[in-house]
This record gives sequence, C-alpha cells and structure tokens, in this order.
Amino acid sequence: MDEEKAVKKYLPMTETMFFILLSLQQEHHGYGIMQHVKQITNNRIILGAGTIYNSLSRLEKDGLIKVLSEEDRRKIYISTALGRKILKVEAKRLVELYENAKTLLEEPI
Amino acid sequence: MKTKKIVFFPAFKRVVPSDFENWLEDMALNGWHIERVRQWSSIIMIFIKGDPKKYRFVYDMRAIASKDYVSTYEQFGWEYMGRMASVYMWRMEYTDERPEAFTDKDSIISRNKRTIAAVSFSFSIFLLAALAMSIALIFFSDNISVNDRMQLIIGVIFFIILAILLGTVMLYIHKGNKQ
Repeated sequence: MDEEKAVKKYLPMTETMFFILLSLQQEHHGYGIMQHVKQITNNRIILGAGTIYNSLSRLEKDGLIKVLSEEDRRKIYISTALGRKILKVEAKRLVELYENAKTLLEEPI
Repeated sequence: MKTKKIVFFPAFKRVVPSDFENWLEDMALNGWHIERVRQWSSIIMIFIKGDPKKYRFVYDMRAIASKDYVSTYEQFGWEYMGRMASVYMWRMEYTDERPEAFTDKDSIISRNKRTIAAVSFSFSIFLLAALAMSIALIFFSDNISVNDRMQLIIGVIFFIILAILLGTVMLYIHKGNKQ
C-alpha cells in the first residue's frame, strides 16, 4: 500500500491502532504489545486478544508492520518504514489538535 | 440428581454471538459445563454438572485464521474450547472484572460483520433451496407422487423458516452495529 492510500485509510487513527503502531517501533509479540500499551497508558487501555489479532492482521496486510521472526507459533512484529511514516503523520495531526485546543483554553471566556 | 444435560440446537436458538456467550456463562454459573466444543456442538451440546464457575466465553467467527491465532489468545490466558464450523470458542475463568477479547469498537464491528457474512451465506443457501423446491412443486407437481409432494412442501416450509430466522439475526446484528 502506498503512503497516500495508507494516510486515507488510517487517519484519523483510533487509539488502539495508534498505540499498537507506537509499540511496534520496537519488536513485540501480541501479548507484549498489550503489556507495553497498558504500561504507557497507566492501565487505562488494556487491549484484548481479538482486538490485537485483528489489528495486527490488518496492519501486516497493508504493509505498516512486518513479521520479524516466529518463536513457538508466536510472531514477533515490528513497524515498517511506511508504518513509522503514518504514525508520524498522525502524531503531527495530534500536536496540531493539541495546539488548537490549548489556544481555545487560553482565550478568555 | 441430574449430572448430565443435553441441549439440542443451542447455537440455532441463540444465533447472535453475545446471546450464545451469555447463555454459556449462565450455564457455567449454574454448574453446567462443556468440556469441548466440536463440529456438531451447534446441533447438540452435552453439559456435565460440576461446581458453579464464573467463565467469560468468546464466540469468534473466522473463516481463515493464521497459525498464530490460537497462540495469541492463549498468551492472554484464554482457554481454547474448540471449533464448530468457522466459530472458534474460548473461555476464561474470572472473579472480578469480566475479561474481554474485543476491546474497541472497530474490532466488535469487525466481528459482527464476519458473523453477518457467514449468516448471509447460509441465508442465501436456504433461500435458494426453498426456491428450487417451490419451482419443483409448481412445474413438476404432476409427475411426482403425493408422498414426494408432501416432502417438498415440508422442505419449503423448513427452509423458509430458517431463512426468516437468519434474516432476523442479520437485522439484529446490523442494528447492534449501528448502535
């Protein structure tokens, strides 16, 4: 999938996709992703097995992540260059959103 | 005291995934447990009496699952109960918070879509069967015996009832997706 198509398909990104893709900037298997997301969101987001499996299948099919290795039927995934690009585009969008929200809050009522 | 309970057509009586999951959970809470889910479990399910347990069941329909599908669920602590047709059944014992396999809106919608696709396929088959039998009754009724005609009429009624049932389920899940 090319970058333009991926941007159209994935942006704006769901929280689930954002955190999975963010976790996969380092190599992880499915359960490892859940633990990492749980830790960086202070237990706010606990991803379920079905959700992780669906998301990983979709991201792999679209070329945003790839399988690095397989151990005991467990796949170890990592983000591709395309996945990293899409994540950065989303991060820029979130920063823009944040800046605008901040401006709104700074204005007198 | 009864130690065995046999339930016929359990999955046909509760075609909506969450209804089937909740029913199995209620059965387990009342001490009725299934050891395995098999290909024929949608038609007949045998429960054995035991201690009441709190289990969360998950109904996951997948025509194709990659080889890490089962291991992904198992890593999260789910116990694989088996498969009936394209439905994978899972369970997890819990005490406080009820565990979930699908934790975001997208994956719940995606599961419902997979279920609707499978139900739509069966719906089309039953409808086609009812149509084929109706055509046979209309155009060839002179050449078939009274007994065969009766069988065809029963067949048409049977397939129409199934098609209506599956059509209702499709609408119900579709409505749930919109909500």
